[in-house]
Amino acid sequence: MLLPFIIAIHALAAVAIPPLVRLLGPRAFLVASLPPILSAVWALSQAPEIVAGRAVSASIPWVPALDINLDFRLDALALAMVLLVSGVGAVIFCYSAAYFSSGERALGRLASVMVLFAGSMLGVVTTDNLFALYVFWELTSVTSFLLVGHDDRKENSRRAATQALVTTAGFGLLMLIGFIILGTIGGTYSISALLADPPTDSPWLPAALVLILAGAFAKSAQAPLHYWLPGAMVAPTPVSGYLHAAAMVKGGVYLIARLSPGFADVDPWRVLVLGFGLATMVVGGWRALRQDDLKLLLAYGTVSQLGFLTLLAGAGTHTAAIATIGVLLSHGLFKSTLFLTVGIVDHQTGTRSISRLSGLGRRMPVLAVAAGLAAASMAGLPPLLGFVGKEAALEAFVPGHAGELPQGVAWTVLVGLVFGSVLTFAYSARFVWGAFADKATVSARRFKAPSAPFVAAPVLLSAAGLVLGVASPLLDPIAQSYAAAYDDGGYPYHLALWHGLTPALGLSALVIVLGAAMFWWRRPVARLQNSMPRWPDADAGYHLFIHTVYSSALSVTRRSQSGSLPVYLGIILATMLALPGLRMLAALITGELALPLGGEHLRLWDSPLEAVVALVIIVTAVATVREHRRFPALILLSAMGFGIAGLFVLHGAPDLALTLVLVETLTTIILVFVLRLLPTTFHTRPNGWAKRLTLLLCSAAGTFIAVALWLTTSARTAEPISREFAGYAEQAGGHNLVNVILADFRALDTFGEVVVLATAAVAVASLVLLNRRDRIVDEPDVDINEEEIELAMRAPGSPVSENADLGTRGEEGADLRISRSRTGDKPKEGS
Amino acid sequence: MALEGSGAPRPRATAGGSSAGPPEGWEAPRERWLSTVVRPAFGPRSVLLEVAARLLIPAILTLSVFLLVSGHDRPGGGFAGGLVASMAYVLRYIAGGRHELAAGLPMRPNTLLALGMIVACGAAGVPLLFGRPILDTVKWEFTLPVFGDVKLLSALIFETGVFLIVVGLVLSVVAALGARMEAEEAEARQERAAEQARAARRRGGEKA
Repeated sequence: MLLPFIIAIHALAAVAIPPLVRLLGPRAFLVASLPPILSAVWALSQAPEIVAGRAVSASIPWVPALDINLDFRLDALALAMVLLVSGVGAVIFCYSAAYFSSGERALGRLASVMVLFAGSMLGVVTTDNLFALYVFWELTSVTSFLLVGHDDRKENSRRAATQALVTTAGFGLLMLIGFIILGTIGGTYSISALLADPPTDSPWLPAALVLILAGAFAKSAQAPLHYWLPGAMVAPTPVSGYLHAAAMVKGGVYLIARLSPGFADVDPWRVLVLGFGLATMVVGGWRALRQDDLKLLLAYGTVSQLGFLTLLAGAGTHTAAIATIGVLLSHGLFKSTLFLTVGIVDHQTGTRSISRLSGLGRRMPVLAVAAGLAAASMAGLPPLLGFVGKEAALEAFVPGHAGELPQGVAWTVLVGLVFGSVLTFAYSARFVWGAFADKATVSARRFKAPSAPFVAAPVLLSAAGLVLGVASPLLDPIAQSYAAAYDDGGYPYHLALWHGLTPALGLSALVIVLGAAMFWWRRPVARLQNSMPRWPDADAGYHLFIHTVYSSALSVTRRSQSGSLPVYLGIILATMLALPGLRMLAALITGELALPLGGEHLRLWDSPLEAVVALVIIVTAVATVREHRRFPALILLSAMGFGIAGLFVLHGAPDLALTLVLVETLTTIILVFVLRLLPTTFHTRPNGWAKRLTLLLCSAAGTFIAVALWLTTSARTAEPISREFAGYAEQAGGHNLVNVILADFRALDTFGEVVVLATAAVAVASLVLLNRRDRIVDEPDVDINEEEIELAMRAPGSPVSENADLGTRGEEGADLRISRSRTGDKPKEGS
Repeated sequence: MALEGSGAPRPRATAGGSSAGPPEGWEAPRERWLSTVVRPAFGPRSVLLEVAARLLIPAILTLSVFLLVSGHDRPGGGFAGGLVASMAYVLRYIAGGRHELAAGLPMRPNTLLALGMIVACGAAGVPLLFGRPILDTVKWEFTLPVFGDVKLLSALIFETGVFLIVVGLVLSVVAALGARMEAEEAEARQERAAEQARAARRRGGEKA
């Protein structure tokens, strides 16, 4: 199967596009459209197989031990989604070639990320492994972040991009938890295997489903998480048309549609899906009716339609499944048409505000007809694909037709659907009227007519909606193949324009009449909307949440990070005493651990010299603590270090001693550098209780460490591995065992440490230098004019020579940075 | 130079040669004890310290290379060698200040770090090219005319990388904590002095 290869082509194209954009300008989008075209054509060529019920699959092992594989499986649902993602995607790519001007900023990045997005989306809808699905899913979130934030110089757009990312990726994490639970209880991460044998008897299943639905709802902008979608409309219009109409937002719907054959009957799946879907459909439609910006109108319309789709995809009945495919395809076609139309209107006239557009229908008749057809499809007028889908959807909830749904639920959903559809009709009409009608109160704008290729894309998509509507039996096999997972309960249903005089047809007619009435009396409706109390704003909820996270993080940091080193050290020591310390004490008291007192474990010294060294260490340690001046304290501290090195020498570890002496010396010197800047004495030394507490804590910590060392060294039960090292070291070619361990046996560890050292070096330098921002500026050579100034100071009142000023201008030392002060290299012989 | 003949109060170690005037002749020092003439990091200049630094630094650097090379059979190795070598530079810094440090360095600390990383990574990765495990060690033994039997381990290359990184680390810390702070102090001093000089000039103007 070619699919992994096609996804790889998307990734390669994403790499190749930026240079092409530099070469060809926006026309490179035509090249970018090749991978989606390829995938759409390939998917169509597989259609006969798939419709016959034989899914095409391929698998690439990734992490087989964890059951993470790049499994791909193309069945009827995936086929419908691929046609949307790649087919509509290709058209939008071609449209982009005309939409963007060659002067557009970061066009290469935009094109590249769009192709990457197309590839990721293709992965989402075709993969058969939960982990791979999650990876592709998050790839679409990240690419969508980059696309929404395309105009990265505007704060507005950065904020919308972040909001979309935080919402979709944040809930994506919940979904990942759900996937892991589902995979664990099901024993496999393969989606098709899980659907074939759902782990319905596990008590964890409802939790897993709720988490997965949370992720899907966030992605598909279900209320109350819908706020990010209108916000994301700051993206360029082709991006909105692609991501927010055809592809990305359908991800959640796809996931629900994918899982519902296996899990629709598990509580609380249906309650959630039907409840949230219906609420979203009504809220979105209601809000769409109020928008003045055509793009925002479409965004809220999309929210509404996504609610509609969620409800259908999750209902889990035969007819609803058929309707899902119908509405999925029709929505992809008409909504992208409408977005592209708004793009053209915006591009030519410079506005997309309903209150400033007038008479466009006469100037752009072709576009107006195309958009009118798409809007009619959205409103559910025959003979368009939207009508076919809506008819099927209404039919799915006619009470008594689907055994899975109780009568009450079916009635509620049906009424909600009709109300939502009336709203949809009204805002569709409002869109066409707003964009193209002659308005008496608005003066017509002057603008250039769009070029034919520019208009071609929406016309093509709109025509597809019309053709597929008339030829809906063409799509029926796909829908039937997907719906075959459900029992049709004696009511087989087919996608078609005419089913006879059915209740659904009556409801469609009712929707049209009510919707037309609602549009006709739009002023009273608007007054009603304005008089309604303001609903709680979901967007404000998001900001409140973010603000709460931010402020609680701040307050936690403020409390836990006092900035005082003694306090930090005290916390660390107290934790050490509280956890392992208390445990050890308890073990010692209960007799679980015995102090190894006898025999070879405890002896005074190996050589009496050790006693001398130990005395030095003790004396310097006590003296360090009692010393009030910083500098002597430092010297005492390093003397103690040297004493410890002496212990190493006495125990026959010259390597260790050498390194310790060197490190002690260096740290002392470096500390001296720093001590210059600090006061000579410790001013804030604890007194009274604080002093006693510190003393107690430190001696307890010291005792604990000493006893723990004593216990651990005598607790050895196995033979030390290092006994054989001496022989190995000879083999490796060295006599110095320590060195051979460092450079050969454990060289990888050494390598890691060295990397840490290099990182620390860079970090220390940056930390110290970041102190002041103006560090980057070259400093003037101080030495040159210092003498001048001294001279000037010595003779107050005498006129100062020009040289003093000349020095500060620093012609001499302008290029002298401390890090490469090569000018200082030259001997000043000539002067 | 703009300062020529300004009567600098600071003693200046002039190089020998015909152009510089007295002292002349064979007893005149051929070079200064440190390569730049600047104030040291701390306190006044100390000739004793400069001379000691001059004499010791080559020996310390040689010792560091000895520690690096002899590490396989005797105490030492890349880490200890690197510490010793950086000690030489620290001594130089203490004796001659930040300009002396900069003048004495073969390259910038960051370049040293980068070079060390390249050497260490190379030593780690090259065995892979020959189908051997990463960081694998090879031993060469051969007889040279003067040195006699010589044993070379490929781990020495890795150790050299460690050596360079340690030197780079210490030098960048010294540059950051010592030299930068010193530069900052000097800058502050200069600003203060310039302030006073301006004040003095203003007073002079009033008198005139």
